[in-house]
Amino acid sequence: MTLDPLTLVVFAPLFGAMAAFVAPRAAAAIGLATMALTGAAVAWLATEVHAAGAVRTPLGGWEPPLGIALRADGLSVAMLVLTTGVGLLVSLGALDSFKGTANARLQQYFWPLWLLLLTGMNGVYLSTDIFNLYVMIEVIALAAVGLTVLSGTRAALRAGLEYMYASILGALLFLLGVGFVYLQIGQLDFAGLIGAEPSAAMSTALALMVVGLLLKTALFPLHFWLPSAHANATAPASALLSGLVVKAALYIFLRLTTYMPLPDEILVALIGALGAGAVLWGGVQALRAERLKMLVAWSTVVQIGLIFIAFARAGQVGLTESWKAAALLILAHGAAKAAMFLSAGRIKDEIGHDIIRDLDRTPVRPTLAQFTFALAAISLIGLPPSLGFIGKWSLMEGAMAAGYWHWVAVTMVGTLMSVGYFSRVMAGFLRFDRVRAPVAEHQGWALADLPPLVLALGAIGLGLAAAPILSFIELGYPFGMTP
Amino acid sequence: MIDTMVIFDLLLAVAVVALAVASMTTRDMFAAIVLFVVFGLLSALAWVRLSAPDVALAEAAIGTGVTGALLLRTLHHVQTVERKAAPEPLPVPMGVQIANAAFCGLLTLGLAAAFAGAPRGGPGFDLLVADAMSISGVDHPVTAVLLNFRAYDTLMEVVVLLAAVIAVWQIERGLSDAPAPALGEVWQGFARLTLPAIVVVGTYLLWVGSSAPGGAFQGGAVLAAVGLLLLLSRLYVPRPSHRGAARVAFVLGTGAFAAVALLVTGGGRMPFEYPLEHAKTLILLIEGLVTISIAVTLAALFHGREPVALPERAAGTGGRDDA
Repeated sequence: MTLDPLTLVVFAPLFGAMAAFVAPRAAAAIGLATMALTGAAVAWLATEVHAAGAVRTPLGGWEPPLGIALRADGLSVAMLVLTTGVGLLVSLGALDSFKGTANARLQQYFWPLWLLLLTGMNGVYLSTDIFNLYVMIEVIALAAVGLTVLSGTRAALRAGLEYMYASILGALLFLLGVGFVYLQIGQLDFAGLIGAEPSAAMSTALALMVVGLLLKTALFPLHFWLPSAHANATAPASALLSGLVVKAALYIFLRLTTYMPLPDEILVALIGALGAGAVLWGGVQALRAERLKMLVAWSTVVQIGLIFIAFARAGQVGLTESWKAAALLILAHGAAKAAMFLSAGRIKDEIGHDIIRDLDRTPVRPTLAQFTFALAAISLIGLPPSLGFIGKWSLMEGAMAAGYWHWVAVTMVGTLMSVGYFSRVMAGFLRFDRVRAPVAEHQGWALADLPPLVLALGAIGLGLAAAPILSFIELGYPFGMTP
Repeated sequence: MIDTMVIFDLLLAVAVVALAVASMTTRDMFAAIVLFVVFGLLSALAWVRLSAPDVALAEAAIGTGVTGALLLRTLHHVQTVERKAAPEPLPVPMGVQIANAAFCGLLTLGLAAAFAGAPRGGPGFDLLVADAMSISGVDHPVTAVLLNFRAYDTLMEVVVLLAAVIAVWQIERGLSDAPAPALGEVWQGFARLTLPAIVVVGTYLLWVGSSAPGGAFQGGAVLAAVGLLLLLSRLYVPRPSHRGAARVAFVLGTGAFAAVALLVTGGGRMPFEYPLEHAKTLILLIEGLVTISIAVTLAALFHGREPVALPERAAGTGGRDDA
């Protein structure tokens, strides 16, 4: 048996998930060991990509189009690092928040579902075949629905069912598009897409796949399932769903539009307009939200919209640069949103509720979690030097250079609104005048405060490393045409 | 001769669409499910007419048989739990219905136009598959694609099933108070008669898969019917102590598949690259274990929850661990 890093990145979490399911008592230990192994495999892959550009493995020895090849370039590795890095920290957080016999069942089922989810996401980032991508998003969908309903509350079950309907509808639309592509070019691999003659029928196929993906990534107005699904899951599950899962469909969107360019400038503008709708509508809903986790979930809708604005900021001409801006925002949001959901979960656990209006009334102040929440907000609002700032800045820079001032205006309005809704929370943290009991300061610093803090610091600190990140993403020309 | 087949095809096409419409418009849930099952059987026939016997078998066994059973099981559950007459859902306004119909109709027409105008990309995988058949280890092209050329996709499809059963098992709310459906005594005799036949059919489907239509998914679905009958006739009652064995059975297929894929590497071979002299053995081994996992998983999905301690009388005379 000889292993290569590409295979290991997918198979390590798969074996881990099976082991954690078969041996539920040891699930946490198996889960952590698996995360460590997967992290090592990603690091190994990163060094190979760093040394050689893109690397690939034709599975079964069959070359595409008959077989399926795994391929990694800079963008794949960036997404894998985000997924395993955030995943590892959320796992550590989960370890603490699921401890105790009352949560034994959560502990037991969290690990196999999360590791299957990881298998699916890693598989997406290494795939070069659109049918294989369909299978992978199905793996992600079922594991993600499982995580959504893990808390077992009525609201979570209802939201999970809605999420499953949306998710399966999206996957079926994608599959219909895949069938259309196969009908026309007789191939399913990316190289076949690049070589295909543009035609109305190919554009129809692309449209089907893109609508399916937009539904899965919850771009306005197809976001209806997201807020309640993400707000009602347990905190670690919310962090994974919001920080990582929606990014898988976004990543497929970026890849597909690289290999099958959108046929018309108007469509690029339409995507941007939907993004603008998400920023404005999501912002209004976040300003009106009554519960903290709901506010954070609506902020995900906003951020997804922002990523699509980054994609459309300079029209078709500037797409190569726009993809990079979108990728930066994806990474920034992944880390910051996971941190924010984990800290919101901690605040809810300590205070006992997450009603924003009453945050200032409680004598209990989980200060470290509140501090983490503020740090994550800094990156999501886009204050320097955070990675969120770099992403937003490159979005606006490209839009200004192309003379598309309307995207700049929408981004500025969205930023102002985000300051508004995060200030609602911050004011609750910092005001004490409605507290009737003696303030019990920094009750409950726990081990679970550490992972979100690291994530939030990462989201801010990585802004300083934006240049090396950008040059790494370009390894293997992910936005060129060589799959 | 050809004319009669054209007439048959036309009738089939009309019947499939009519059944689809009927199963969606009927208000009676039970009737809708029955119509759906008939719809599935006729679709299977359509697949046969399209010269896709493998898809036809899958449609009949999984799309119709297992799905129909799951739907009926769910209906039973919903009616038992919500005996207090659930409020009649508000009727959808006529305008909304018409708008929806127009939107979907236009979309379908657009898709049909794009489909009709699409250039055909030649034979697809046919030539590639024909070239590689001799070194695939099996004689049936569909099995060669599923278990060799594109085995990675198939492995991940089995993982989807695993994810589904884990997701179902972790839901406990609202399930424990609904009694499991059971067959009467006459049906128990029927079950005893049919069980051996189903086992033979399922195993045959699995075995024949390497040279003719059939294979793990179809065989597994047919064998799952054994589990369904055992559960319905109370010949087998799932108990908490069976959880461990069931968990092993769920992951058996995926685990063996993935382990073989990794173990064959080395000496320049990629994952999933079976050495030619062992290819047939390995493929049969994988298919056999995957069939067991699929059968047990589908039966467990029918049961619908992690086995819990039953307060009622101790029933059950053992049997297989398939719940």
